[in-house]
Amino acid sequence: MAEDKGSILELIKKVLFTDFVKGLTITLGYNVSRSITHKYPDEEKWVPYRRFRGVHTLNRTEDGRELCVACELCSKACPTQCITVIPMEDDTGRGIADRVAKVWKVDLVRCLYCGYCEDACPTRAVRLSREYELACTDLSCTVRQREELLKPVQVPESFEGGVVAKSEFLRSKRGIKVKVDLSSTRKRPL
Amino acid sequence: MPDTSTILEFILIIVKAGAIAMVLFGLPLPLTWLERKIAGHIQVRLGPWRVGPHGLLQPFADMIKLLMKEDIIPYKADKFLFVIAPLLAMVPAFAVFAAIPFGEKVLIPGLDYELTLYLSDMNVGILYILAMSGLGIYGIILGGWASNSKYSLLGGLRSSAQMISYEIAVSFAVIGVVMLSNSLSLLDIVRAQGGNLLHWNFLYLPVGPVWFFIFIIGSTAEINRIPFDLPEDEGTLAAGFHTEYSGMKFAFFMLAEYIAMVTVSVLAVILFFGGWNAPFSIPFPIPPIFWFVGKVAFFIYLFMWVRFTLPRYRYDQLMNIGWKILLPLSLVTVLVTGLMRLYL
Repeated sequence: MAEDKGSILELIKKVLFTDFVKGLTITLGYNVSRSITHKYPDEEKWVPYRRFRGVHTLNRTEDGRELCVACELCSKACPTQCITVIPMEDDTGRGIADRVAKVWKVDLVRCLYCGYCEDACPTRAVRLSREYELACTDLSCTVRQREELLKPVQVPESFEGGVVAKSEFLRSKRGIKVKVDLSSTRKRPL
Repeated sequence: MPDTSTILEFILIIVKAGAIAMVLFGLPLPLTWLERKIAGHIQVRLGPWRVGPHGLLQPFADMIKLLMKEDIIPYKADKFLFVIAPLLAMVPAFAVFAAIPFGEKVLIPGLDYELTLYLSDMNVGILYILAMSGLGIYGIILGGWASNSKYSLLGGLRSSAQMISYEIAVSFAVIGVVMLSNSLSLLDIVRAQGGNLLHWNFLYLPVGPVWFFIFIIGSTAEINRIPFDLPEDEGTLAAGFHTEYSGMKFAFFMLAEYIAMVTVSVLAVILFFGGWNAPFSIPFPIPPIFWFVGKVAFFIYLFMWVRFTLPRYRYDQLMNIGWKILLPLSLVTVLVTGLMRLYL
């Protein structure tokens, strides 16, 4: 008997299209809800968490001396041999020791962003930053030199990350860039 | 020599037909944008966004793309049928609108002339519409057949089978409406629903809602929209009957499909929701065309809404629904309606 009752109930449900209406209310809810699409690159940009591994950056001490001692451990640790380090002697106080890098370059098309160079570095000079806009129209931007990597990055390491930041879309001769404004951020919905 | 008023009448009809055709040619542009926008928002995306403000120019971009595309006719296709099939699908979709009324007479201010908001008041209007919209299937079947591709052929055959199974139920549902209003003319059907909400055929209890649901389910199947879009089932048939079509020929099929959707929405409004009659009396005047367009817009939204809510039915489920549920149910409603008309 109980089974009969169930089937009658099922029939009534079917006749009244209850499941159908349930589905429609859910989709209507989504239809009027806010979209989760980031307005990248026009207005917003995702700032990743600290653990993100993007383009390399070379750090300095607080008084502006290069941390890199050109020990070449990063290039030894690199599984794809994309880092080239040529050391030289220098006693002008450019680095923290009297051995500094004459050349420190990384081939970004070979790099697989594993982060082994970071781990190998004894002075924490090389870090993988949160820079991920790497597109360019020719191969000129794929090899990054020491001078470029020593510049401070857009998102400093002290910044927590994991937020969507307001940003500005910049178009220049060198390509396009999305500049983030770290002072106005919001959490990602969902 | 006909007198001037006859010539004027004749010119007016041509102008009206031209205007309706232009509107119908233009309608798919906003409708594709709307469909993609609704798809986007239901899936918590944005939909078209980059071409123009809020992606409003997207349909024009699509149109240019379709115009520029290479128009491929497969080597082994039946060339004549292949070329004529999109037209066969499109022409009946337009022809249906010859019998569809958009409102009663309106008085043109200044000219003191009464303009009728319909091309012709056919006394067999609904019959003509059902017949014409049935003809559109030929385009799909022939397109599928002429492509000489298994996917297209299966799509075309499914379309014909679907049409046979659902057209009957839809016609029976419409017969109920015809019995109630004692006329096949759409104008009379709308006039019979005048007054307020309670006079609408949808609320003719207990059979009104049943008619409506049979009609709307059957029509969804007939215009090949999800959940009944078996003829163009991307999952199993690539793109079904229009797999081999590209460029403007494909655009013609899409045009026919969108116009069919508009036709069904218009018919649902005229047959069941009182056409241009207001749902309740309002102290200040609102033009009846407002109600008409509003109701039609709701149904168009409903079709899109359903499309992004339900998955596609399997082919055997489709046949089961058509033959085992809708057809018997529609026969019963015709019987019940007859008894109600006789004894109530």
